[in-house]
Amino acid sequence: MINVNIDGKEIQIVEETTIVRAAESAGIWVPTLCYSELFEPYGVCRICSVEVIRGKRSRIVTACNYPLRDNGTKILTNSPRIQTIRKMIMELLLSRWPNVQIIKDIAEAVGVKEPRIKCLERDEDPNACILCGNCVNICKDVVKANVLSFENRGIKREISLPFDEKSDECIVCGACAHVCPTGHIKIKTLGYERGALQDWYLGPKTAINIPTLQAVPRVPIINEEACIKMQTGGCGICSTYCEPEAINYDAKDEEVEIEVGQILLTTGYQTIDLKQMPQYGYGRLDNVYSSLEFEHMLNSTGPTGGTILCKDGSVPRAVGIIHCIGSRDENFHKYCSRVCCMYALKFAHLVKDRTPAEVYQFYIDMRAFGKGYEEFYKRLLDEGVNMIRGKVAEISEGYLTNGEKPFLMVKCEDTLIGKFREIPVDMVILCPAIEPQFDASNIKKIFSISQSPDKFFLERHPKLDPVSTMTDGVFIAGCAQGPKDIPDSVAQASAAAARILSLISLGEVAVDPIKAEVADEYCSGCRICNSLCPYTAISFEEEKKVSFINDMLCKGCGTCVSACPSSAITGKGFTDKQILAELEGILSV
Amino acid sequence: MKPYTIQLMICAGTGCVSNQSFEIKEVLEKEIKKHNLQNEAMVVTTGCNGFCGAGPIMVVQPDGIFYQYLKVTDIPYLVEEHLVKGRPVKKFMYVPPKEEIPIPRMNKIPFFSGQTLVALRNRGMIDPEFIEDYIARGGYRALAKVLTTMSPDEVLKEIKKSGLRGRGGGGFPTGVKWETCKKIPGDRKFVICNADEGDPGAFMDRSIIEGDPHSVIEGMIIGAYAIENVREGYIYVRMEYPLAIKRFNIAVQQAKDNGLLGDNIFDTNFCFDIKVRRGAGAFVCGESTALMASIMGNPGEPRAKYIHTVEKGLYDCPTCLNNVETWANIPQIVLKGADWFTGIGTGDVTHDPWGGSKGTKVFSLAGKVNNTGLVEVPMGITLREIVFNVGGGIRDGKRFKAVQTGGPSGGFIPESLVDLPVDYDELTKVGSMMGSGGMVVLDENNCMVDMAKFFLRFTQDESCGKCVPCREGTKRMYDILYRITKGEGKEEDLDLLEELSNMIVESSLCALGGSAPNPVLTSLKYFREEYLTHVRDKKCPAKVCRELLTFSIDPEKCLENGHGCGVCEKNCPDGAIYGEKKNVHFIDSMKCGKCGVCFDVCKFGAITVE
Repeated sequence: MINVNIDGKEIQIVEETTIVRAAESAGIWVPTLCYSELFEPYGVCRICSVEVIRGKRSRIVTACNYPLRDNGTKILTNSPRIQTIRKMIMELLLSRWPNVQIIKDIAEAVGVKEPRIKCLERDEDPNACILCGNCVNICKDVVKANVLSFENRGIKREISLPFDEKSDECIVCGACAHVCPTGHIKIKTLGYERGALQDWYLGPKTAINIPTLQAVPRVPIINEEACIKMQTGGCGICSTYCEPEAINYDAKDEEVEIEVGQILLTTGYQTIDLKQMPQYGYGRLDNVYSSLEFEHMLNSTGPTGGTILCKDGSVPRAVGIIHCIGSRDENFHKYCSRVCCMYALKFAHLVKDRTPAEVYQFYIDMRAFGKGYEEFYKRLLDEGVNMIRGKVAEISEGYLTNGEKPFLMVKCEDTLIGKFREIPVDMVILCPAIEPQFDASNIKKIFSISQSPDKFFLERHPKLDPVSTMTDGVFIAGCAQGPKDIPDSVAQASAAAARILSLISLGEVAVDPIKAEVADEYCSGCRICNSLCPYTAISFEEEKKVSFINDMLCKGCGTCVSACPSSAITGKGFTDKQILAELEGILSV
Repeated sequence: MKPYTIQLMICAGTGCVSNQSFEIKEVLEKEIKKHNLQNEAMVVTTGCNGFCGAGPIMVVQPDGIFYQYLKVTDIPYLVEEHLVKGRPVKKFMYVPPKEEIPIPRMNKIPFFSGQTLVALRNRGMIDPEFIEDYIARGGYRALAKVLTTMSPDEVLKEIKKSGLRGRGGGGFPTGVKWETCKKIPGDRKFVICNADEGDPGAFMDRSIIEGDPHSVIEGMIIGAYAIENVREGYIYVRMEYPLAIKRFNIAVQQAKDNGLLGDNIFDTNFCFDIKVRRGAGAFVCGESTALMASIMGNPGEPRAKYIHTVEKGLYDCPTCLNNVETWANIPQIVLKGADWFTGIGTGDVTHDPWGGSKGTKVFSLAGKVNNTGLVEVPMGITLREIVFNVGGGIRDGKRFKAVQTGGPSGGFIPESLVDLPVDYDELTKVGSMMGSGGMVVLDENNCMVDMAKFFLRFTQDESCGKCVPCREGTKRMYDILYRITKGEGKEEDLDLLEELSNMIVESSLCALGGSAPNPVLTSLKYFREEYLTHVRDKKCPAKVCRELLTFSIDPEKCLENGHGCGVCEKNCPDGAIYGEKKNVHFIDSMKCGKCGVCFDVCKFGAITVE
């Protein structure tokens, strides 16, 4: 600890403290411009110049980076000498950037109104770059990306990116824009295609976030792509602030092997790619949304805070909701997706509730089959939703001659009145078909189960055993098995869970005694049977060079028995000898 | 082997090389062969001789006959006369101004006889590309003495005792710097040779490197030994000195080959190596922190030196940086002793290392003197001696006006202070500085405002732009001076200039900004009248600032001497001159572009400039 005297105030500070900090603790204001706590003081604006007196020697130093080392140092932060220097510096800055707010503020604080100097490089821009270097320093010291730097020298000095081009090294962290005191650096979204939404997100997209408000468990995670520490090795601020030391930058995705007796497959569904149907203009026209995007818009934590808005920010005058996009369609899926009718009605209800817009439902058949569904449909009709029976042929952009904003023209045949109709709306919501996950066939192979012709997983029996599969111990539930709404999914999943629990509580499983077995002495090790087995029960034993059948998996189908070229595989209880003996028995009568 | 009887020492410094000294050497060798003298006469290419204004130069040893302004075509005649017939050629010898009898011997020429050589002691005597030449002249004896008979502390004591101060400009006592660096704990320390000589018109360091690179290397090795824990040294040379870089590289390689650099030097356990780094030529890289940033591969920008580089320099290790000339002085001090060194110069440094200026200083003498070139003079010599004795007085008999010392960071010293002894403290007292040793002599035809503008233009252009006072301030000062020379100045501009200057000096980040306003401050101090004439009367007394001149035709001279010849009218690019043939011509001042062509073409002196 050393004693220093700032403007007559005696204070005690730790050695190596900078004058700015010492002055702060003494309650004395020193003007700063390029100073920031976030990185090492740069010391270039010189506005924080103060007078340091040690013994008889007086010296002008910058308060931001001058470390106090000697006992009894005297500091004058506002001597006449300092005032002249500050005024002159502010005159210089003000003459060059007369409209930058922070410069105007400091100039006023040090008592400069109008600069006496004429500046040839005068820049009237209120957001001009004042070369304070904050962006360069934060990029270098904190982010450690080293993207920004100064170029040229002297009066021509300016901030630039390498070769004046967008840099791949930039991790778009936005730190430079955050520290820019004049707003010269702005974060802009590039590559915004017309009508195409950016990757939709369900919460604030900072490097550390809670993925969704309903996330389980509700803890923050670090987004690897946005985290400065993970991208460049810099920053690391969160770990210094996290008191329980819960931040672990090394945590990585890993593969874990768990041994289980039963498996319940609930791999869910995906919605059809709407771009396959160009006539609906999805991704091409503004204000054509998929139902999930619209659901996101309705969410009170969504991008619009739950207000229904067109892309230009206006409230839609009419909204069209189109059913059966890809479902009940010979070209895509023949089946009905089962959930669209009801959520479309919900949408209509919410649009009616939140906006004065007219709502049009374009349907083929209304399928309100569940408990209370038909009643909801009736209610919607009473609310004045326009129901049009017919498949929409095309959505196109329409323009008015009076220059009003363009609208969307929905063209369809109204089969109830037998007429072709064109209905102008501002927003269209498409109800895409539910379809199996794109990689469902991989799952099928892994678990040796089957798919129905529509590619959903096939249950063992549609009525008698709807949650189990042909493979013992593998169960299915939810949309992996077929399109379903939430109540049905819950019911099916509960049933599957109950089935699994009943097996677990038994503690053992009964298996069919009919199996195939390999006679090691005859097996040539050709492995033909290995790939043929539909239950992946046959594996190859490298040591013995013979095939081996897992009794638990074998269903005794006999495929391998008939395929084995050396007749090494026989079915237990169905050997040739036994069959011949049976035949003999029959024939001997 | 029979020794040569005659050595032809031809200067191969940059100035003489650009005046074809290598071609002269070729012709010389051819001619010597022609006369079958190749076993008698040897041609040696030496480093810069110093008398650059008279190049290309050749000195014939052992007689020391000095030849100047040589041309390739003169060589056959010279070889025939001097080498064959034994008659030194008078027409190539030096003739003092306003005299007719030439001075044949080099050491009798005032330019040379007025000098005391320490750092430049080998100039013109050795071939810098041969380490043998250097060793023959006593080179590396100091190193041998240090490594075999002295402890590091003894070396340091000797250097401290000598009172040697940094020759790069600041004049910081070298011994003190070494001692501080030695005291800072650290296993890895560096020594750096600052050869980033950027002052316009200064070439002391370049000449030392080109003429005697080993003296710098020897100095650095001794320094590394004295500071201890130093195994690496850097030489930072600017890219604009290709010959210096070449000779440094050769010298370092030769020193390595001879076991003078590398591991276990002189079979002791002392190890040291030197790397040559090229700078891209930014003036600010002469500033130690900017130089170190540049060596580390960062932009050459200075940082605040509140934590000194001897504490935290290159790669955050304790670093001792000295200028070329400082290093070159070290071997001599070690060899001849501190007492010999303190015998030269001013003041007393036994108790206070800042108490005086010891030894010699190399200046590059330029401007309006008769003998321009490199001079090494003892500290404390008066300006008058340098200008009128060594420099041979002002050219064309013009009146002496001022001396500008210290390059663009220095100041002007007026005629009234011409008897000022030249040392660190005296120069600083009058507002100038020693700097790296630039010395520009000005005569009555130099406009002080224009000169100040010239130097400021240089500094504002070379400012790295990091700190506000230097970046913005110097440019504004330049703008004001530019306006004054254009005749748009106001009287309050002078006060503003002074205010700006003081602010920049006090608050700049590094020494570049801290000294940039010196030319303006000193010229304002000593030549304020000249400024006032510019802003009040819109006149330039030295007739330099064209915008302030008025051209007119003296009717009498035009008619009587020239009979109205009309040459001026024909050559005027602005069509501003009117007049009938054989009649008086006159200039339309509204149209006159003040180019001065008429003044140059008029053979009768009829054009007057005011």
